[in-house]
Amino acid sequence: MSAISASEKVDGFTRKSMRKAQKQRKSQGSSQYRTHTAPVELSPLPQLKDAPSTEQQELFTQKLQQCCMLFDFLDSVTDLKSKEIKRATLNELVDYVSTNRGVLVEPAYPEITNMICTNIFRILPPSENPDFDPEEDEPTLEAAWPHIQLVYEFLLRFLENPDFQPSIAKRYIDQKFVLQLLELFDSEDPRERDFLKTILHRIYGKFLGLRAFIRKQINNIFLRFIYETEHFNGVAELLEILGSIINGFALPLKAEHKQFLMKVLIPLHTAKGLALFHAQLAYCVVQFLEKDPTLTEPVIRGLLKFWPKTCSQKEVMFLGEIEEILDVIEPTQFKKIQEPLFKQISKCVTNPHFQVAERALYFWNNEYILSLIEENIDKILPIMFGSLYRISKEHWNPTIVALVYNVLKTLMEMNCTLFDELTSSYKADRQREKKKEQEREELWKKLEELKLSDMPLVQNNSHGLPSVQNNNNNNNNSNSNHEDQERSAAAVTADDKDPDATAAVSESTPCAK
Amino acid sequence: MDAFKLMKELRVNCEQEVHYLPKVTGLRAIESTAPGDSRISAKCRDAKVEDLWSLTSFFGYSTQTFVLAVNLLDRFLAMMKIQPKHLSCISLSCLHMAAKVTEKECNLTPTDELIRIGQCRFTVSDLARMEKIVTEKLNFKSKAVTALTFLHLYHQIALSHCTDRKTTLSLEKLEAQLKACLCRISFSKAKPSVLALALLRQEIEAVQSEDMLEIASHIQRHLKIVDADLVLWSKCVAQCLSDYASPECSKPDHRKLQWIVSRRTAQSLHSYRSVPELPTIPEGCWDESESEDSCEDMMSSGEESLSSSLGSDAEGSFFPPHLRRQNQRQYLYA
Repeated sequence: MSAISASEKVDGFTRKSMRKAQKQRKSQGSSQYRTHTAPVELSPLPQLKDAPSTEQQELFTQKLQQCCMLFDFLDSVTDLKSKEIKRATLNELVDYVSTNRGVLVEPAYPEITNMICTNIFRILPPSENPDFDPEEDEPTLEAAWPHIQLVYEFLLRFLENPDFQPSIAKRYIDQKFVLQLLELFDSEDPRERDFLKTILHRIYGKFLGLRAFIRKQINNIFLRFIYETEHFNGVAELLEILGSIINGFALPLKAEHKQFLMKVLIPLHTAKGLALFHAQLAYCVVQFLEKDPTLTEPVIRGLLKFWPKTCSQKEVMFLGEIEEILDVIEPTQFKKIQEPLFKQISKCVTNPHFQVAERALYFWNNEYILSLIEENIDKILPIMFGSLYRISKEHWNPTIVALVYNVLKTLMEMNCTLFDELTSSYKADRQREKKKEQEREELWKKLEELKLSDMPLVQNNSHGLPSVQNNNNNNNNSNSNHEDQERSAAAVTADDKDPDATAAVSESTPCAK
Repeated sequence: MDAFKLMKELRVNCEQEVHYLPKVTGLRAIESTAPGDSRISAKCRDAKVEDLWSLTSFFGYSTQTFVLAVNLLDRFLAMMKIQPKHLSCISLSCLHMAAKVTEKECNLTPTDELIRIGQCRFTVSDLARMEKIVTEKLNFKSKAVTALTFLHLYHQIALSHCTDRKTTLSLEKLEAQLKACLCRISFSKAKPSVLALALLRQEIEAVQSEDMLEIASHIQRHLKIVDADLVLWSKCVAQCLSDYASPECSKPDHRKLQWIVSRRTAQSLHSYRSVPELPTIPEGCWDESESEDSCEDMMSSGEESLSSSLGSDAEGSFFPPHLRRQNQRQYLYA
């Protein structure tokens, strides 16, 4: 490693970006590409549009087969001509399938799916960056994208072709196909995942026989993600597809779907990388609740159970989700969860992280939530009151203090009688606490004074026991045996030599014990 | 304080109270002004007084401060023609003046904080100037004798005279009721001694103490309060308090409040309302071919049992027993 100047270091440590740049990028060998004994070249075939209609079918098949030849894009110098031929051919195929009718005859299906499988189904290489942080780092893009993109495009047009027959296609687009497709969702390349999302969505729509299987597999992927690996790049895309599926659920909801909500979607909230897919996840949850409002209570209780305790960013997300849920909640359902929910909100409001507090306080800017609170003010106000009052005095952030004023004012206007009652009982509580504190302070003061006043008397005590116990060695022996102390204590009390000390002794000896 | 002293103090305060009454003609002018006029209306003033109460409560000021502030405000409004746009500056300066009189210096909220929380648009120097103006106009009579003064005295007298140990009058409750009354401008027309007595009486009637009723009458005679007056104001008080105690909530006047949040929070607020791009896929009817094909395409190594359980997902356990065993996960990677 060459010397790194001081400016490139932070706190004496080399910046991460410098370290990365220094790492030599090894060319990734892939078992996908057979080492050719002889260089393989593609010979360009005539254009489809130029071919007579009788030969088009055959030419189409030839081109499809030609495109089954794979090229190594990590090597940027070899096979350039052939790569270009393949790219142009793929482009042509995409056009052909999109614009022409009568292209999808039965014998074409296996050729098409074979070409697709050959090109896209591959084992994804391990991530170049083992600490890949999806939010910060640039993703590793697929090197062969110039071809693969076209293959995806082709697959999509194939599925969306008006002549497409699921009854024929299902022989080739089967469970194995779907499984391999799902595995590709782990690609780091967002463009690839975007295609996959649309493709799987179409497949789910058209192949009724595969629907249950797809749902099951997605389940498994999520469960593995939550409980085992915490790694999967395609969660957001899968959730987006699920959103459109949930939206289409028939009522009453099947038990399977409800189980999915409680066993998969809710625990998904515990993932560390929640920020990447929270919007989609929240959408799915809200869709469920719009379909079946009776699910509100278990959902909210589930969220409260998994409420983030140390990650403020997640807490803000959870609060956003709660607001979305409250936007669609039915008043009868609200009553069931209002108490545990507002207990949590009351904690959020006092959170020293200003974003969490702000987000929680902002609930009071939501008209519908206000109307719900108003209906149930007698239950909610007592829960919120103490924390709101406390942070109005104690929070460090002035914006928060101003928001608290708004909230208190709003609550006050809802029910001033209750508010006044709570104010006076809160004040009374504070008075009591203050009084207790004062008494405690005075007790300590007294004890301190005790110690000081007997300091000279303790000089001859060699055992160094705490002075509270040694307050009676004013004349004699240094063995501060406990029994001796008691006897001396008695002696002093009887003596009446030093009235102050005596009084102190008789008071504090019980304490010493 | 013994009874005699208390009564004497009552008399003294009663004599003083006239000096601190707002001009009745001024108050009537306000009451008759329609809202939306170029002058202050009763509704305007009442809303402002409610704001004052919110601020008092928020900053932990005492009821004394609030009552005094309202007194200063009413006296000022009754003597000057005020434009509504100046009302918040005036009310805030009255509050600040009252706080300076009543509260400990260490508990005084600085004026910039007052303005910020009150969401007002004027500056600290504006406030200082307004304070000067108000002080001058009121002839520097800041320490007013108010209904609260009387309420405290009455309360002390009632308690000291009452032989029945069991019944107590809650001073806090009385204060809260006074506060509710003061939020309506009509009560500013009452003499503080009468208003306080009316409040005392209705509370005594609520706790049904004959003893205290006697004491109340005694006070009335002592201060020479006319029966008619007392009856009139008792009626008004009763009306006001029944509104105050009603469980009906008033819809908060939402548009008045500003909700300022930090930039980061504002950014994340509406990021969720994105419309999904994928069109909805309606769920087919369950008996349909939804289950038909799942049995056909079998995969090797133990896939059969998986597929067959997918058909009738509506019944049956979602997590088939063989899957619950830990070592059955190889099936996915056939």
